Amino acid sequence: MTTVRRALLRLLAVFRGGRAEADLAREIEAHLQLLEDTFVARGLPADEARLAARRAFGGVEQAKEHQRDTRSFRWLDDSWLDLKLGARMLVKYPGLALVGGMGMAVAIAIGAGFFAVSYSYVYPTLPLDEGDRVVAIEHWDTGAQRQEFRSLHDFVLWRDQLRSLTDLGAFRTIRRNLIVPGGPAEPVTIAEMTASGFTLARVPALVGRPLVESDERADAPAVVVLGHEMWRTRFASDASVVGRDIRLGDTVHTVVGVMPERFTFPVTHRLWVPLRADPSEYERREGPAIRVFARLAHGATREQAHAELAAIGQRAAAAFPTTHEQLRPRLVPYTSIYGVISSGGMDGWQLQWQLHLMQFFVSLILVLVGANVAILVYARTATRLGELTVRTALGATRRRIVAQLFLEALVLAALAAAVGLLLAHIGVMHLSAALSDAGDLPFWIEPGLSAGVFVYAAGLAILAAVLAGVVPALQATGRRLRPALLHLGSSTGLHLGRTWTVLIVVQVALAVAVLPEIVFTGWEWVRAGLATPGFAAEKFLTSGVEMDREIPSRAGADAYEREFASRFGDHLTDLVRRLEAEPGVSHVTFASRLPGDEATARVEINHGAHLTPSSPGGSVADVLTADVRLLHVDAHFFDAFDVPLLTGRRLARRDADSGAAAGDAAAAGRGAIVNRAFVQRVLLDMNPLGLEVRLVGHDRESAPDRTVAGWHAIVGVVEDFPTHRLKPEATLYLPASPGQIHPVMLAVRMRAAAPATLADRLRNIATSLDPTVRVHEVLPLDEVYRQGEQRIVRLGVVTIAAVTLSVLLLSAAGIYALMSFTVARRRREIGIRAALGADPRHILASIVSRAFWQLASGVVIGLTAAALLETASDGGLMDGHARVVLPVVAAIVLTVGVLAACGPARRGLRVQPIDALREP
Amino acid sequence: MSSEGDRVALLQGTLDLIVLRALSTMGPLHAYALASRLAQVSEHPLSLNQGTLYPALIRLEQKGWIKGAWQKTENNRDAKFYAITKAGARALTRQTARWRRLASLVDTLLLEPGP
Repeated sequence: MTTVRRALLRLLAVFRGGRAEADLAREIEAHLQLLEDTFVARGLPADEARLAARRAFGGVEQAKEHQRDTRSFRWLDDSWLDLKLGARMLVKYPGLALVGGMGMAVAIAIGAGFFAVSYSYVYPTLPLDEGDRVVAIEHWDTGAQRQEFRSLHDFVLWRDQLRSLTDLGAFRTIRRNLIVPGGPAEPVTIAEMTASGFTLARVPALVGRPLVESDERADAPAVVVLGHEMWRTRFASDASVVGRDIRLGDTVHTVVGVMPERFTFPVTHRLWVPLRADPSEYERREGPAIRVFARLAHGATREQAHAELAAIGQRAAAAFPTTHEQLRPRLVPYTSIYGVISSGGMDGWQLQWQLHLMQFFVSLILVLVGANVAILVYARTATRLGELTVRTALGATRRRIVAQLFLEALVLAALAAAVGLLLAHIGVMHLSAALSDAGDLPFWIEPGLSAGVFVYAAGLAILAAVLAGVVPALQATGRRLRPALLHLGSSTGLHLGRTWTVLIVVQVALAVAVLPEIVFTGWEWVRAGLATPGFAAEKFLTSGVEMDREIPSRAGADAYEREFASRFGDHLTDLVRRLEAEPGVSHVTFASRLPGDEATARVEINHGAHLTPSSPGGSVADVLTADVRLLHVDAHFFDAFDVPLLTGRRLARRDADSGAAAGDAAAAGRGAIVNRAFVQRVLLDMNPLGLEVRLVGHDRESAPDRTVAGWHAIVGVVEDFPTHRLKPEATLYLPASPGQIHPVMLAVRMRAAAPATLADRLRNIATSLDPTVRVHEVLPLDEVYRQGEQRIVRLGVVTIAAVTLSVLLLSAAGIYALMSFTVARRRREIGIRAALGADPRHILASIVSRAFWQLASGVVIGLTAAALLETASDGGLMDGHARVVLPVVAAIVLTVGVLAACGPARRGLRVQPIDALREP
Repeated sequence: MSSEGDRVALLQGTLDLIVLRALSTMGPLHAYALASRLAQVSEHPLSLNQGTLYPALIRLEQKGWIKGAWQKTENNRDAKFYAITKAGARALTRQTARWRRLASLVDTLLLEPGP
C-alpha cells in the first residue's frame, strides 16, 4: 500500500514539479538561514557566517538533485520536459516543422498504406470459427505453370479419400437473371456450392435452413438460399419467404432459407444454389471450373493433410498419365482463392519474402526523408550549441543531451505519424472503394487500418526520430563540443563535416535522378486524369450483354456451341434493332469490350510480299509477332464513336466472316482495322494496307502455336481512341457479327445526353427477348470512365505529387540549412573582408561557392544516373522524352537551390564589420 | 570535525529509521534541527551531509509516515516542520523490531568463535 501510494505520488510529481520545486528551494533557503544564525551566534560576522553556512551545508544544487531523484521518476520527469521542449521547438522553428514534418508524414503515409493494403490481402485472418483451419486445395499444372480449375473428378476423389480434411466442398460462381413475380429482372451473382460450405462456415441460417446434401442430387427440387440483403430489399424481410418460388434465368427455385447479415461465404456471395455437377458427364480436366475448400479435421495438421493430398495426387498421376502427369494438388490458405494476389505457383514463403522486400524498400523512403530532416535538425542544433554546452557544463551527460534531441525529434515524428496515418487511411479507403467498384471485396478483407498498421507507423516514427534526432545529436555532442565552450555565443563550434557534405550531394543527385521519372509519370497521370476520351462519352449508354451458358459434356459440345452462338446472335440482333427504334437513339453498336478496356493479345503480322498457301505460317523473316490490344467490333463501331479513318476503308459486315488462309485474306475480303499507334509501334510506319494479321493467343503467355483464328487483311487505319489513357496502345480491331463473340458490350449513342429511363428500357427489352439474356452494368459511358481506374489514377496522382513536393522541399530546405550554416560560421571572416573594403559580390561568391559546388556535383551525378537509367531501359522510362524532361528537372533543382541559398547569402552581405568583429 | 576513520557510514535505509525515531521522541522538527540532533546524539561520528537528509524526508512524506508544515522557529524564521504521523509511528515500531532482530543476528554471527 505504502509502495503504491509512493509510486503514485512520484508519478504525480512528474507533472506537478513546479510547486514541489519552489517548496524545496524555500526549505533549503530556510535551512541555510538557520545555519547562518547559528554561526552568527557563535560570533562570526554576517558575511563569514553566510559563507560558513554554505560550506557546512554542502552542494545546494546537488542536494536538490538528490531530492528530485527521490521525489519523482527522474527519467520520466526529464522526458516530459523534453517533450514539452520539443513541442515548443516546433513552434519556434515552423519552417523545419513544416518541411520535415510533411516529408515524414508523406513517407509514413506511403509505408503505412502499403503495409495496410499488402498485409490485409496477403495475411488476412478468416473471420470464421477456427478460420485458421480452413484451407483451399489448388490443382497446379507444373507444365503450364498455372492452376487447373476443371477438377470435378478429382474433387470427388478427394472428398471420398482424404481423412485429414472434413467439410470438403466446392463452389463456382455463376450469374443469372433474378426474376421475382412483379419485379424487374436483375442480374445476380450466385454461388453454386456444395452443402458442406455451410457446415464448414459454421454459420446457421437466420430463417429456414441452409443447403443440405440431399439438395445436391440431380433429381432433387431446385432450391435457393437467400442472402440477408436480398431478403431485406427484395422480400421486405418477410419471415414467410421460405417456400416461395423465384426464377433464376429459366429455372424456378424454391427458397429454403435466409442467411444472416454479413454472411458472404465463400467469397462475396449472397445467393446460394446447390452444386450438382456430375463428374460422370465430363472427361477428366473437362467440365466446370470449380474451387475446392475444406477444414482440417480435428487433430489433423496441415502437414498431414498435405502429405495425404500429395499421395493421392501421385496415385492419380500414375493412373491417368495423359491428364494428370503434371498435376499436383496442394493445400493453400483459403484466402488465396481471391485473385488479387495469386500465389502464381510460388511457395508461401517466396511471396512473403517478396512482400517483406517491397516493404523494406517502401520503408527506405522514410530513411531518405529522415536523413534529410537530420541535416535540418543538425543545422538547427548548431544554432543551439550554446544551450547544449551550458547544459554539459552543468553536468548533463552526453546521453542526456542525445535523449533530449531524440525526444524533440520524436515529437515531430509523432505528429508526422498521426498525419501520415490519416493520409494512409484516406488512401486505403479510396483504394478499397476503387476495388469495390470492380466487384465486392471478399468478406475477410476489412478495408482500413489495423492495429498492426499503427504499430508499424509507430516503429517508423521512432526510426525517423532516431535518424533525425539521435544522429545529429551524436555528431553535435562529439569531441568538438568541448572546444565549443571556448567559443560560446558564436556558431563556430560545429562544422558540417564530410558526412553531411556527402549526404547533401547524394540527396541532390537522388532528387535529380529520381525526379525526372516522377515528374514525367506524374505529368502523364495528370494528363490522363484531365484528358477527355476524345468523343462525347456522355451521349453513350453502355451495358454488358450475355446469356446463361451451360457447360456441355464433350459429346454435345460442338452442337451446343453452334446452337448457343446462333441463339445469342439472334437475340443480339433483335436487341440492337429494337433499341435503334427507340426515340433519340442515333447508333447502336457492340464490341467485345468497351473502348479503353481492350484485351491484350498476341498477333502475327505477315508482311512478306506474298505467301503461298503451302506455307501457312510464312517464313520467319516475313512474320512479325507482337503483343497488342484487341477489340472485336461490330461494323458500325467506328461510325458510332466518330473515330476518324486515316486511310483505307471502313469495316463491312462481310469482313466478319471467319478468317481466311494466308495470302488469301485480302482476296476473300476479310478485313481488319488497326490504329495509328499500331502502325507506328508495331509496323514501324510501314504501309499497313494489305498486310495480313492473325490472332495467335489471347494473352501474352499463350504459345504462338495455338492458332485460334485465320488471317485478316488490314484494310484501314483509324485514329487512336479513346484519348484519355496514359499513352495510346497499339490496337487491332477485328470484325465481329452478332453471335461470333460472347459476352458483348453494347453501346447506345443518343442524339443528346443519354436519359436515365433508357437503362430500364434496355433491361426490359433484353428480358422480354429471353429470361436467360442478362444485361449488366448499364451505365453512361462517361460514368464508366470516371469510375474504377480513374479513382486509382487520382490516388496515384496525389501520391506522386506529394512525394515530388516533399522531395523538392526537403532538397531546398537542406540547401537552405547548409547556406545558413556556412554564412553563420563565416560571419567573422565576412566582417573582416568587408571592413578591408572587399567587393560584396566577391564575398557573396565565396559564401555560395561551396553550396553551389555541392549543388552542381549533385546535379551532374544525378543527371548522369538518370541518363544511364533511361539508356538502360531503352527509353522506356520517359518514353523518349528524356531530352526535354532531364534539363527541365535540372533547371527546377538548380532554381530551387539558388532560391534557397539567396536568403542566407543576403544575410551574409548584411553582416556589419563592427558587429562581426566584436563577437568573441 | 571527526577524522575519516571515525565516520560511521549510514546503512541503506537506516536513515529513515533514525529520522522517524528522532521525530517520535523530540516532536516536530525542521530539517536543520534534525541534522543538528543527529550530529549531537552521535557526538559527530554520524557525519551527515546536510543535503542527504532531503531525499529521506520526501521519501518518508510520500510514504505518509511524516507530514511537513510551514511554521515559525523560535528565532521567528520560517521553516518546514516535520511531524510523525500515526502510520509513521506504526512503521517505526515495525522497523525498530526488524532492526533489533537484524542487529542481534549480526551480533550472534560476529560473536561466534572462529575456527
